[in-house]
Amino acid sequence: MKILIRKATIIDRTSEYHNKVMDILVSDAVILRIGQDLPAAAAAEVIEMEGLFVSPGWVDLGVQVGDPGFEHREDLDSVAQAAAAGGFTGIGPFPNTEPVIQAKPEVNYLLQKTHHSVLDIYPIGAITRNCKGLDITEMIDMHKVGAVAFSDGHTSIQNNGMMMRALQYVKAFGGIVINHPHDISIAGEGQIHEGYVSTALGMKGIPDMAEEMMVQRDIYLAEYTNSRVHISGISSRRSVDLIRGAKSRGIAVSCSVPVLNLVFTDQMLLDFNAQFKVLPPLRQQEDVEGLRAGLLDGTIDMITSNHVPLEVEQKQLEFAYAGFGAIGLETAYALANTHFGDKLGQEGLVTHFSRKPRQIFGLPEVVLQEGSKATLTLFQPDLSWTFKLDQRYSKSANSPLNGQVLKGKVVGIINKGRSFFRVNP
Amino acid sequence: MAAVTQHLSTRHLLGIKDLTAEDIHLIFHTSDNFKEVINRPIRKVPSLRDVTIANLFFENSTRTRISFELAEKRLSADVVNFSASSSSVKKGETLLDTVNNILSMKVDMVVMRHPAPCAPKFLSEHIDANIINAGDGTHEHPTQALLDAFSMQEKVGRLTGKKVAIFGDILHSRVALSNIFCLQKLGAEVTVCGPPTLIPKHIERLGVHVSYNRDETLAWCDIANILRIQLERQDIKYFPSLREYAQYFGVDRRALDRTGKELVVMHPGPINRGVEISSDVADSEHSIILQQVENGVAVRMAILYLLAART
Repeated sequence: MKILIRKATIIDRTSEYHNKVMDILVSDAVILRIGQDLPAAAAAEVIEMEGLFVSPGWVDLGVQVGDPGFEHREDLDSVAQAAAAGGFTGIGPFPNTEPVIQAKPEVNYLLQKTHHSVLDIYPIGAITRNCKGLDITEMIDMHKVGAVAFSDGHTSIQNNGMMMRALQYVKAFGGIVINHPHDISIAGEGQIHEGYVSTALGMKGIPDMAEEMMVQRDIYLAEYTNSRVHISGISSRRSVDLIRGAKSRGIAVSCSVPVLNLVFTDQMLLDFNAQFKVLPPLRQQEDVEGLRAGLLDGTIDMITSNHVPLEVEQKQLEFAYAGFGAIGLETAYALANTHFGDKLGQEGLVTHFSRKPRQIFGLPEVVLQEGSKATLTLFQPDLSWTFKLDQRYSKSANSPLNGQVLKGKVVGIINKGRSFFRVNP
Repeated sequence: MAAVTQHLSTRHLLGIKDLTAEDIHLIFHTSDNFKEVINRPIRKVPSLRDVTIANLFFENSTRTRISFELAEKRLSADVVNFSASSSSVKKGETLLDTVNNILSMKVDMVVMRHPAPCAPKFLSEHIDANIINAGDGTHEHPTQALLDAFSMQEKVGRLTGKKVAIFGDILHSRVALSNIFCLQKLGAEVTVCGPPTLIPKHIERLGVHVSYNRDETLAWCDIANILRIQLERQDIKYFPSLREYAQYFGVDRRALDRTGKELVVMHPGPINRGVEISSDVADSEHSIILQQVENGVAVRMAILYLLAART
């Protein structure tokens, strides 16, 4: 495979070519040359597009994939396409599958099944058996075969002692625990954020406190155990404040925010649109502003797609019975770029989509220089396009963004000596 | 009956939220006429002849279902009834499939009660019939609120500036929510009163007062609407015992007498005698509980009639 990328702006602050417009010649899995007006080699595919940008490949940890067990929602092939179409060269699937990713064989399954995929899979092993929160899994064993982090995924660790022991145990190999903050004893059967909208709709609410108390708990436990915690999917302004404070005290805490929560509020639910029924729930304008401030000052490390594919039968239901979640891999970058690309800049976005998650989870660093691994995302930040569900790559169609005009479009990815370029408009 | 020259602004009754004050006054005006009709020797009018109405009750109901059925029959509509426990429907057929099956038999209007908030709205987006919400979970119960306000107005005149207190389980009550929206549209002032665990945290943002003190609230209000303690809708314990509830939040004769004024007392039923309301209050001259039931039929006739005119 030889691909010549023409006149692309390089976004990589660790590279000497940062912010420069260069040609890049990729040969199989390696960046062969970077320079001006490189000659088109004999067998090269040439990519030349208006306003083309290239950066180290983006990654998203905490993606829901249905493989194994729920392949009708998303399997490892379809998620590779959806991720690549959204610019991601790697994803970390949450372990909430059937069976749960909770021992060496399941981790091996993910890695072997995607060996020939354009996508890197970074397995996340469960912390407790079947994500039930009771018995700890063989984390050292899973780490040895390639699990990059441990989490019960969308099931939060409710028991304080269990969370403490998990944080202690991963220190055996310098590991990191991911927890989604959601205290069930407070959130209960809540459907949406608790506030004016939930009250006016007579809907059970999820207080922001159900998240914040667990954020605070995880900070305490990380400090006590002197271990590393990643809080995945925060949605409230006060969670940002708590994490900002913890970071300033030197506690090893990092966090991510789903892009939908950075853009929308619970006002979107006033007409019971179940496509906006997600976890963490969409909250209020002050939360959106608090999250964006946290993004700008570096408190928030990662932006995630919070990709949760669901079959149509899970959403075409009375709101209270509809499932939580939305697909997001294909639109995460474009939605972020549309709404705060100006403030963050492309460098800022690449930091949140690539540099920070690679650092936090110890993933291979990618530097745009000759001789480096060619793990690249190609995108056009200024191009506007319309996201249409009938042209999606995911198997599932539960997105609230159908028909939305977004600014910033992914061209495709190059990774592992393979490439994927969007063909859909 | 006087010809109705106006129309409702909506073709479904999903909630009070969607109604204008003019809609409410139109419903009241029409209800006045139908109340006169049902007190005649011949209580039936041909207004909805050849209109088929399905009453779909996915949750138990006796009085609301009978009230609707009577209203429909007095308007000469053809009526089919469907009752199912929500759980059996939830397990198998979806709501949409169930209703589409029934609609294939050519039904014009659907009256639906369902345990899930917004189920009637969901239905209105997918099917063609007029939909009337007869209670959707903890969301709204618009016909109850309309008959409550109609009964209040009958008793005390225009509601502008009147003070109405709603007592009881506000957290699990669709009646409370619809009452609040309806009373506010009519210019009344509303206080909700009950144990703090049964009052939604953000209810003040709907523009109501909140009180945890029964006696102060009774002293404040002109009308006390006392709600049923919804033991069946509480998944966890929100208060320790019925005994303590009755003592501190129940309305009894002594509490009424302490106010030293004439209060109107209402209850949407069914009553837990001796819990939220004592027998000597429920059966007293203050109580308009049975008038509410009578008005229920007239108000529902008005709503069916006005919505049928909107097809």
